Amino acid sequence: MLTVSNLIKRYGKQNAVNDISFHLEGGEVVGLLGPNGAGKSTTMKCIVGLLRKTSGEILIGGHDHLSVEAKRFFSYIPETPYVYDLLTVREHLQFIAQAYGIKDWKNRGEELMEIYDLTDKADKLGRDLSKGMRQKISICCALLPDPQLLFFDEPMIGLDPKAIKNTKRIFKELKEAGKTILVSTHLIDSVETIADRIMILKNGDIIGNDTLSNLKQQFVQDKQGSLEDIFLELTKDE
Amino acid sequence: MLLRKDLLILKNNIWLILKNPLRLLPYGGMIAYFFFIYTMRVRRGAEEGRTGIENIDVEGLPQVDFGLQNVIGGITLLALAFLIFQLFRATKKNVSFFKMADVNLLFTAPVKPENILIYYMGRSIIPSLGGSIIFIIYGASQFADKIEFSFINIAFLVLGFALFFFLTSPIRFLVYTLHTKYGVMQYIQTGVIILAVLLGLAILIPGLMAEKFWQGMFAWIASPWFDLFPIVGWSRAMMSYIFNQNLITALAFFGLYLLAYYVILRLVLDTAGYYYEDVLEATKSNEEQVEKVRGKKETPESSMSLNTKKKLALPDFGVGAKALYWRNYVHASRQDFHPLFGLWSVILAALGIAFAILSNFDWFSHKVLNGYLLMLVGINFFAGIGRGSVGDLKKPYFFLIPASWSSKLWNVIKLDLVQLGLISWVLIIPSVLIAGLDWKLILFYPLCVFLVYIVGLTINMIPKVAFEEGWDQKLIKPLMIGGIFLFGIIPSLVVSVLIFVWTRQFVWMLFAFTIGQTFIAGVLVHVLLDVISRLELKEI
Repeated sequence: MLTVSNLIKRYGKQNAVNDISFHLEGGEVVGLLGPNGAGKSTTMKCIVGLLRKTSGEILIGGHDHLSVEAKRFFSYIPETPYVYDLLTVREHLQFIAQAYGIKDWKNRGEELMEIYDLTDKADKLGRDLSKGMRQKISICCALLPDPQLLFFDEPMIGLDPKAIKNTKRIFKELKEAGKTILVSTHLIDSVETIADRIMILKNGDIIGNDTLSNLKQQFVQDKQGSLEDIFLELTKDE
Repeated sequence: MLLRKDLLILKNNIWLILKNPLRLLPYGGMIAYFFFIYTMRVRRGAEEGRTGIENIDVEGLPQVDFGLQNVIGGITLLALAFLIFQLFRATKKNVSFFKMADVNLLFTAPVKPENILIYYMGRSIIPSLGGSIIFIIYGASQFADKIEFSFINIAFLVLGFALFFFLTSPIRFLVYTLHTKYGVMQYIQTGVIILAVLLGLAILIPGLMAEKFWQGMFAWIASPWFDLFPIVGWSRAMMSYIFNQNLITALAFFGLYLLAYYVILRLVLDTAGYYYEDVLEATKSNEEQVEKVRGKKETPESSMSLNTKKKLALPDFGVGAKALYWRNYVHASRQDFHPLFGLWSVILAALGIAFAILSNFDWFSHKVLNGYLLMLVGINFFAGIGRGSVGDLKKPYFFLIPASWSSKLWNVIKLDLVQLGLISWVLIIPSVLIAGLDWKLILFYPLCVFLVYIVGLTINMIPKVAFEEGWDQKLIKPLMIGGIFLFGIIPSLVVSVLIFVWTRQFVWMLFAFTIGQTFIAGVLVHVLLDVISRLELKEI
């Protein structure tokens, strides 16, 4: 579903992403972990086409990631929620429905607004919403086209506990529906239970890429050790 | 303590410059340019003999020099408009001399609020002085052959300019403190409006009394007694020293400024009280404004929206990139009273038509209408530049929507083009009919407006898209824009001016300019469509 080969992203002389390669099979849920400045967001933004890659190849569903065909395959939830100031919550969904050519979007839209407590705010303008509410719209907009592949960049930031719980539930439902998901997050426990695989980034390099049980075997002495222990072990300074 | 803090900041800034002296390159270039112009002008002045404004014997002239009167009146009017605008703003929004760091660190410290206020109010002259020195250096280089620049001349020029800008902030602060203590905002607001109306009458009455409106409109505000008008007149009187060399008068007006500042300071200290809460909101919004300017914060798209409460039920416009046009349509429906022809369009078109009517009755010559049309062309160039920095291009949806880049770009600017077409025709058709202008303007003017908008848009976008962030972009961008101006816009301007000189017809000048812009826009659009797939989202 997603193949990244020798991806490099350079800012000036500094490599933010340092020649990384990985692959996501259809239906796989992968957690992308790493300390601040590791290159998680940059990697994700290069994949979805928000940033230019310096070099490398990215294929989504067999198509180049910048092609129109590839864009039909995926949705992206950014770390910073972007909404249009003068569009209401419902109009955001109508906008996405037109952009992705979704005909019967209204029922699904109402359902999503219900899940994220946006029903009573459906006619509120984007500019009048708090950061958490904007993040909820962002998630609703990404889920509306029902894509095969989803990229979540720090999706829990700014959400209230109920929305966090619902997002975790949605992850689970998406996984059961066979969707492919790449989640970048600081909240390790949010991916621990659902991720088939964990990728750990540090200074633009992938320093760990395996299933949770394999990572435990490799890096933690104690079999009861958590993902947090693996993360701290791998990302500690030499 | 505050002085020490500012000195530390100054030291750190100097240290930053020393660490990266390349930052000084643009400033060095500016100084070199000023110096070059200055020496050129001085040499020319010496060759031709000084024939400056000071040599004009106004008393000896048989008639009023309308040209000089209109120059003085025009500048005075600009200063008055600025003052009224500042006073009016003071009734809407508080002024703040502080930064959020002051609010968090200083306001909670055991320091007397008055002392902080006195220091910051006094210190606010530094940016005014700095700004006026730069302006005077620029102005001096332009007028070096007309005016003698002795120390005292420069001192009065700088002081006149700086004090004008400096005193507006304390006055605005005073307005707010007076309001918080006595609740007099409504009275002040009414006072400002009355003042604006009186000043408007001071232009209208002598204009109507004169043989021709333009000959009389500035007769009052350009006259010497208007020097007594606070701030604007005082500064004008101080700066007039370079022409009349009357030291006593200039010093007297400087004294008036000092007295006014002292009175304002005393009043502020008496009325401000425990002002921390009052300045909090203004400080925060100032800081946000600075961050927006530096690009660290997103500029809201909804500022100045007039119709946000409007309920809409727009049908879909289509699939893919058409969603962007739909989005812009919804946005424009809430921004203004009509998405295609809003309040600004009505005002701009009405002004043009008014000029056409006035020129028909010989109040103004056709030149004013032509100048207005050219001004709108210029505004649309900047509107194009602005379009490349706001709206959809700052949102990830533009990148994520599954559609071709060219169709996305087309749908982002489509509404602008429809609006431009409408306002251009609503403005030009009646103007041509009323003022008896050449009918060909009905074709050329809207076309010219479209093209300059496209040129503005592409000029801003191409360097952003085509070059990597960093020094290469910083260096190549001005080079590229300079190149477009040097080899594209300026030659087409020169040709159009030559054609105007030759034909004495505004329509042919516009035609020549339009042809030039067609070539430039054609090349730039071609380049933009070639490179647009390299566009990146600039995260805030």
